[in-house]
Amino acid sequence: MLNNIRKDHSFYWALVILAVIAFTGVTGCKSQKKIEAQKAAQERTDKIDQAKMDLINLINQQDNLTTAEMEDLVSEIRGMNLDDVELNALLEESENIIRAKREEQQRIEAEKRRQEEELQRFEENRFNKIEDYFEAIASSKSMEMANTRVNEALKFFASPQVPVLIITFMEGDFKDYDKPTTIRKYLEYLKDQGKNRNKIYNVQFDSHGKIIELELIKM
Amino acid sequence: MKNQSIIYLFLLLFSMSISGLAQDNISPQRKMAIDSLALEKVRDLSKYISIIGSKETAWSEANRVIERTLELFSEGAQMGVSTINQPKVKYYDIRTYLERLMALNYDKVKIEWFNIEYMSDLERMPDGRYVGVITIYQRFEGSSGDKMKYMDTTKKDITVYVERKQTQIGGRLIGFWDVLLGDVRVIETKP
Repeated sequence: MLNNIRKDHSFYWALVILAVIAFTGVTGCKSQKKIEAQKAAQERTDKIDQAKMDLINLINQQDNLTTAEMEDLVSEIRGMNLDDVELNALLEESENIIRAKREEQQRIEAEKRRQEEELQRFEENRFNKIEDYFEAIASSKSMEMANTRVNEALKFFASPQVPVLIITFMEGDFKDYDKPTTIRKYLEYLKDQGKNRNKIYNVQFDSHGKIIELELIKM
Repeated sequence: MKNQSIIYLFLLLFSMSISGLAQDNISPQRKMAIDSLALEKVRDLSKYISIIGSKETAWSEANRVIERTLELFSEGAQMGVSTINQPKVKYYDIRTYLERLMALNYDKVKIEWFNIEYMSDLERMPDGRYVGVITIYQRFEGSSGDKMKYMDTTKKDITVYVERKQTQIGGRLIGFWDVLLGDVRVIETKP
């Protein structure tokens, strides 16, 4: 009888212990999840705060970022899918700034290209004009006409002593030259020989637009 | 005797290696450009001589062209002059020759050079210079009034020297080929 009672007590104690274990296990799991959720929420908040700070800096252009770096930053923040109203507004504002910056850059580049093309056209015209003079001097019918053209052509140059280099051979960056001469001697050479055997390869100008060095190449 | 043969063989090999060092190490295309440049200088000379000789050229212009012509020649170069009547060739320094040419006693002088070509190709000497010989034929016609007074055709050989030099222009070093003409020797004169 006593043994039965002891057995019953052991059984109840076992039940009680099991119940306690089960209860504490459930509540422990619940609190762990809660902690993790709180941690995730905190991380999201931190990310949002950091992203906002980065975007505000971008908008105020305090980080001296290039347009490409700005685009990368916005793209990275968008990829986080943080979905915050204030952050979304900042993203939109940043994208507008980047778009404006890109448009401005394109406008500057287009203007630079236009100026370069204009300069190239201007120099080509000037090259053509000088080439025309060379041809005209070489094909002059009289000495007087040739001399007049020599004097006209000299006006394009900073002085009659401007060096003239004539490339006789070129391979890659390597160049061989004839003995360097001066523009006056070269123009007189054209007049004497009656042939224009070289064409303009390169011209250097001074700040007044006068030629200070002429590089020709054998045709 | 055996030792002597070995020494001779050694000397022969040594001299061959030295001449080998003096050989061209420039590409055929580059050499061709140098050949053309030297030929062009001779053609330039041809034109200058016809300008100086021509009675239509103003005195001041002829003198200017003489100065340009002198720039083509090396120091001390001489020009051979011959006539059909006088087989002995006379040699003058270039300035004297050009001044005599300018003062020739004809009303009209016509000088033309033709068949300008290499008689011996430019070859590199041990001192690094290239030396070659260019042959030209000169047709001379001098007349006074309507009557032809004198004409001949002379074959001449011109020694050509080409030297690699450097100069500074605009702050950079420019490598150039300095072509200078040497003596102009008369080979033969025909009517």
